[in-house]
Amino acid sequence: MSPMRRVLSLWFNDAGWLALAVLLALGALAAGVALMGFSGRYLAVSLLGGAALVPFGLQFIGTTRVGLRYAERVVSHEAIFRALADLRIWLFRGLAASAAGGLGFRRAGDALSRLVNDVDALDGLFLRIFVPGMSALMLTPILAWVLWREHALAELVLLPFLYIAFYLPLLAARAAGENAGKAGQAMSGLRSAALDALHGLREVKIFEAEGRMLAAVQSREAALLAAQRELVARGSALNARAFILAQAGILLAILLGFFGAPVGAIIAVMVLTTAFETVLGLPRAGLLYGQANAAATRVVQAAEAPPAVPDPATPAPMPSRNSIAFEHVSFRYGADRPWVFENLSLQVPQGARVAILGPSGAGKSTIAALLLKLVAPAGGQIRLGGTDVLQLPSEALRHRIAYLGQTTQLFADTIRNNLLLGDPNADDARLWEALEAAQMADVVRDLPEGLDAWVGEGGATLSGGQGRRLALARTLLMDAPILVLDEPCAGLDSATEQEFLKVLNNVTEGRTVLLILHRLTGVEQLDRIWRLTGGALISAAG
Amino acid sequence: MSARTKPWVKAEQKLGFRAARLSILLSLLPVLCGIVQAGCAAALLAGVLHLGPGVAMSVLYALGFIAAAGARAYLQMQVERQNFELGAAARRRLRGSVLAALLALGPAGLRGRHSADLAATAVDRVEAMDGFHARWIPATALAVLGPALVGLAALWADWRSGLTLLLAGLFVPFAMAVAGIGAGVAAKKQFLAMTRLQIRFLDRIRGISTIVLAGRAADEARALAEAARELRHRTMRVLRVAFLSSTALDLAAAAAMIIIVLRFSPVLHGHTALAPTALFMLLLVPEFFAPLRGFSAVYGDRMTVEAVADDFAALPEAPSAVPAADIRSVAAHGVTLAFEHVTYSWDPARPPVVENLSFKVGSGEMLLLTGASGAGKSTIMDLILGFLAPQSGKVTINGAEMDTLIPAARTKMLGWIGQRPMIFAGTIEENIRFARPAASETELADAIRHARLEELIASLPQGIKTPIGEGGFGVSGGQAQRIAIARAFLKNAPLLLLDEPTSHLDPAVERDVLESLKHLAAGRTVVLATHSTMAMDFAKTIGAKRLDLDALRYASWRGMMA
Repeated sequence: MSPMRRVLSLWFNDAGWLALAVLLALGALAAGVALMGFSGRYLAVSLLGGAALVPFGLQFIGTTRVGLRYAERVVSHEAIFRALADLRIWLFRGLAASAAGGLGFRRAGDALSRLVNDVDALDGLFLRIFVPGMSALMLTPILAWVLWREHALAELVLLPFLYIAFYLPLLAARAAGENAGKAGQAMSGLRSAALDALHGLREVKIFEAEGRMLAAVQSREAALLAAQRELVARGSALNARAFILAQAGILLAILLGFFGAPVGAIIAVMVLTTAFETVLGLPRAGLLYGQANAAATRVVQAAEAPPAVPDPATPAPMPSRNSIAFEHVSFRYGADRPWVFENLSLQVPQGARVAILGPSGAGKSTIAALLLKLVAPAGGQIRLGGTDVLQLPSEALRHRIAYLGQTTQLFADTIRNNLLLGDPNADDARLWEALEAAQMADVVRDLPEGLDAWVGEGGATLSGGQGRRLALARTLLMDAPILVLDEPCAGLDSATEQEFLKVLNNVTEGRTVLLILHRLTGVEQLDRIWRLTGGALISAAG
Repeated sequence: MSARTKPWVKAEQKLGFRAARLSILLSLLPVLCGIVQAGCAAALLAGVLHLGPGVAMSVLYALGFIAAAGARAYLQMQVERQNFELGAAARRRLRGSVLAALLALGPAGLRGRHSADLAATAVDRVEAMDGFHARWIPATALAVLGPALVGLAALWADWRSGLTLLLAGLFVPFAMAVAGIGAGVAAKKQFLAMTRLQIRFLDRIRGISTIVLAGRAADEARALAEAARELRHRTMRVLRVAFLSSTALDLAAAAAMIIIVLRFSPVLHGHTALAPTALFMLLLVPEFFAPLRGFSAVYGDRMTVEAVADDFAALPEAPSAVPAADIRSVAAHGVTLAFEHVTYSWDPARPPVVENLSFKVGSGEMLLLTGASGAGKSTIMDLILGFLAPQSGKVTINGAEMDTLIPAARTKMLGWIGQRPMIFAGTIEENIRFARPAASETELADAIRHARLEELIASLPQGIKTPIGEGGFGVSGGQAQRIAIARAFLKNAPLLLLDEPTSHLDPAVERDVLESLKHLAAGRTVVLATHSTMAMDFAKTIGAKRLDLDALRYASWRGMMA
């Protein structure tokens, strides 16, 4: 199935609403055509000296049209809100099930944001393409019938209508498809130039590169504007073409009058004015379709990507023990990338506390990724309680392990809801207990709204250290027998760090703990310390 | 919404209208063509009914119709392109000023702001301003001037119909205001609600791995669906009212049409001479309302501004330039650095990070700066770099106070290597030359040799032209640090600041990097801030003086207690 068809098929749930919206749009359009047609007839007949009795009908149709348009707006928005929600939730479920579930490891936040932009680009699909396109399609036979009644030759004026409504949009879609890649590339070039300039602001200042960086951003911007300008030029040329054709149709209708159908000519002119008004936007909608098509391709690809580590067809039963063993594990992120480890072995007995030390980039976090089945080893085995994790269902495996990643991920929600992600059934007492353990209770108590205080987007209302402690509290709430903490104290000042590590010694009693750190503070109570260096684990004191 | 948002939007609007003046005048020409076209079409139709001009004249009118239609198509195309240029110029201006301000402000001024968020302002939020300048401003002007022009033509041809049109036109904003002070407020609410849902969705997608690993994906999907449903209910309640204002427009158009038809009906039987006028009026009705429809179609563009204006208004203002009067320059060789009773506090409510600090590093000497994290090492570095100005006391270079130096001259004297050097998207050569693009080949080769990068470069198939940074070959922490060292060699500044240069490195790599730093330090004045025992030992072998910030703090605390 083509990506666009896949996206459209999501709307089947709301087919009733969508159909109603299209029908109302058509009704409003037909009423508009009738209004103009009857006005024209009334006028023409009166002018020719006949007596015509339409005023009442005119008022009726006018009112109907206004009512129908109102109903169309309400219903089509109801439909579009439903369709939008469906599309987003489908994408969310898809990403959760696919490889992207583990994307946090690769810091692909930006790639995900871009995906969300693609979803936004699909929003226009329904209101701006689907509804007017469908109504144009259904209006065609009505128009043909009205014109046929007036004069057989009047059918000729349908030709420009068909050309504008159906052929030009096709041309536009094709042109936009070519342009979309160019504009997208220019956009990501601009984004990375701006990010480079701001992310490397220190270097930029020290090497006096302000002017150079600004110039780099501006040259990317110029490329983007050029791509957009090209699209606007195409769109405006298409518009001009459609407009000229529409005017030719109207002139054709007038000429019809000279061939012995004066009333028909006036009616045709009036009707066409309205009909063209609705289809003149379609060629431009075609451009939009071309762009949406590119977006749909990316969205469907991401949502339906297979998981990086598929679940076994017949999973092994979950082991009862919680020991962890890495046996001769080799891993690299791609066939052309260097090995992160080769032949790595590690034993963590049930209930043991083990630390893995090493500088950043040594592959400490990859050990966690392997254990959580976010990536699969190239060789060797990882065992939980003696069973190879590849034989276990991912969901059940991850329920065993409470994991705190290296980057703090908080949600734009209340503190309470951020914590409940760890355990949806926790009561306030448990939440406070976790906050105490994470050295965060005092901070929350000082907030006027307490647990219901709002955490901004990405934890924006909290300091880095506070955000980290909140994430820690959330991890502690997860009632899992295994705890994997990746740099839990990053961003904490040394006093808080020591306090937290002391508390950790108490609250994790009986759990298997894997601490990933770049250095020790001395207060950790550990059974074993490993140092990861050059892709190998070396036992340190412990 | 901050207090600075409203004035910002107002200023943008003023700028936009001023820039659009010519474009707005240009956009009236197609309206004029439309009036001519309606006139020609009316005359032709009258001819069809044998009530107007003869066949010869009809040919002329037909030609007039074709000419007006052609001119209109062409002009409309130009208007669209012109409007695009309006948006493009506004985006160029906004992006340029945002980036220039951020670049001038420097890293210390942006502390606590995420660089990705600032980049989003410079890229995406500037893009979002396009609709305001390219569409909303021209459409707003046209919504007033277009109907006025058509209305005047109608008044001239038949004052009663003209008056009908103008009254119907005036009814539209009036009805909009009644149907809600509502309409605007409602649309704004709907827009904000949509934005909030989009933010929530983006937020959850960004954190999806956390949700998946907590085993809560299904719950969160349900919660998202519930939030969307609730939003739909709330929004639709508002929209049902808001759409009444669009209905007012439809109603006005339909009413004008019917009144004009009825107005002519009694006259027509006796006065066939009025026929072309009647037809003309009828054809003018859609022309009259088209700009008004165009205006209501771009309402969303105005709303978008409300959504992004806060971020623009909240950008910190660029610092004012140094007063020209007391600027001086100092000899750029053999630098002596001194702090004299320097105090700096990030937050007046809290004790200063650096308090009454004095020290001196002579030319060619090294100062080792130690202390726990948060003791003020980075603040001291930023004070030397000029990113921060002391609240009291003086930072001097060769006796001259920092802020009396020409910024460019000051920067020339400073070399700096941090914890994680920035690797820009570009080749290895471009990344090294970043320090001094005009450096000669020999200088570049020397820098590479001193930084011990030759081996890495030789191992890469594309050598020095290998792309690194985002999307390129991933360099390790040690390799990145060597590139930073090569940059420092290339810049060849007499004062070198090393801020935890080895804290992220493996012990083996650290030893190597320190060896290269030793070369770099020779003959320069150096300040080294570090945690690492290996780096401290290295500093001792060079004969560095040591300043322990923890001990200093302890001493001053004891002094206070005594």
